[in-house]
Amino acid sequence: MASHFLIMSFFSILVGSFFATLTRDTVREGVKAAALLSLTMVGISLIIAYVMFFLPLGG
Amino acid sequence: MRVTVACLLAWLVPGAGHFYLGRRGKAAAFLAIVLVTFCTGLALQGRVYLATSEQPLSFLATFANVALGPIDLIGREISYKRIIFFFPRETDRALYEEILGMTRARILAVTHEYGTTFILTAGLMNILLILDAFDIGIGRKR
Repeated sequence: MASHFLIMSFFSILVGSFFATLTRDTVREGVKAAALLSLTMVGISLIIAYVMFFLPLGG
Repeated sequence: MRVTVACLLAWLVPGAGHFYLGRRGKAAAFLAIVLVTFCTGLALQGRVYLATSEQPLSFLATFANVALGPIDLIGREISYKRIIFFFPRETDRALYEEILGMTRARILAVTHEYGTTFILTAGLMNILLILDAFDIGIGRKR
């Protein structure tokens, strides 16, 4: 598994599921929170990656 | 006493503290999530950290790894073929070269940084689980 996007998405799902389980008491609420957290993490990462695309590489 | 046992169990096995406190469903979910995170990290050629005085932040990273309890030992055995917590001194030349070689071999993998992040995250998750078990144990969280 060398796809950066897949690894990042999988990481987001794991972390999102963890915090959802930690903070929610019912399965339904947990699944909703996990999905929201995971998608938010992936979304913010893509936005940051897009912004960084325009930054100079340095040197 | 109940709180101490819960925290100790939570450190030994992710989710065990919650299981002891009667949160069996959550305990199973936590165990699965932390184990999958840790195993994915190892599969991605990540490594557990070794503390060294030359890099003070390595102590924090090692602490996060050790927070996984006995599971961390498996990571050390796989990463370095031995249970070791501190980077060897240069005076111990043979061991120094061996550990350096194993570290370099993992760092060369494309997915090394991701793997190490997964492993660190698994440890940080377990720290939160220990704190959560503590909160439940003292009645701060229902």
